[in-house]
Amino acid sequence: MRISARKLALEFIALMAVVATAMAAAPDVQLNMPSFDSLAAKASDSVSITLDSALLGIAAGFLDSSKPEDAAAKELIGGLKGIYVKSYTFDKDFTYPTAEVESVRRQLAPPLWQRLVGVRSHKERANVDIYMAVEQGKANGLVIIASEPREFTVVNIVGSIDLQKLHKLEGKFGIPKLQLEEKK
Amino acid sequence: MSNNLDDELRRALRPVDPGEEFAQRVVARIARDSTVSRRHAIARYQWLPAALAASVVLGFLTTHDWRMRHEQQGLEARKELLEALRVTGAKLDLAYRVLNDEARVSANGISGA
Repeated sequence: MRISARKLALEFIALMAVVATAMAAAPDVQLNMPSFDSLAAKASDSVSITLDSALLGIAAGFLDSSKPEDAAAKELIGGLKGIYVKSYTFDKDFTYPTAEVESVRRQLAPPLWQRLVGVRSHKERANVDIYMAVEQGKANGLVIIASEPREFTVVNIVGSIDLQKLHKLEGKFGIPKLQLEEKK
Repeated sequence: MSNNLDDELRRALRPVDPGEEFAQRVVARIARDSTVSRRHAIARYQWLPAALAASVVLGFLTTHDWRMRHEQQGLEARKELLEALRVTGAKLDLAYRVLNDEARVSANGISGA
């Protein structure tokens, strides 16, 4: 049985075309995170977490289902493809460089991204924006941009997010009751 | 002439008893040769058990090392996951708190008006 090199090459090109089409069709809900070097340099504490689907799978294997926190986390990450967090804490009030923050916001454009929540608190001097990527009625990505006088955080969750599962996390990880009951 | 040749051949090829010593010498030689060859064979494969033992130890160490790395990576990933969820929870909490404050303020405003 001899397969000609030409046939193999054609099959390879066809396969690549299918993959490229699929990749082009799937909107990218993973943000291109800036390095935030200027923030990191001035932060007293910084958190940078990059968990792709492989690492999420490994982490899931080490979650102890007998612990409520671990069990909730395991259930939540079932449909996720990645979690990316950048958080910076400062000793004193800090004015964030708008260019880097804006470069994140620019990626969150409709129709893929919808802003769910945009809150500005004068009392706490905090701004929180929550964006969600919705495809065919399903939440496929979540971004939280929170800026406080001494803390700046960007969270990007990639993958199928079940709001009901997120709702189940209330009381764990400091998540309050989110009032996500379906409208009657 | 022909008879002479036959006689000479017959004489030359006549069966001669080698005696008992010959048989003993042959047996002794065979025994010695087999011992030597066995010794050679043993010497030739003397490294084999050591190599097998080394392979087993190497395999065990490699597996152990891989397990340790995998476990370390897993525990680190778990820690990061829980930290990521904690940060996410804290920011959702902040949004919720601010929304609640705003709702309370506007409710107070309406009731006060």
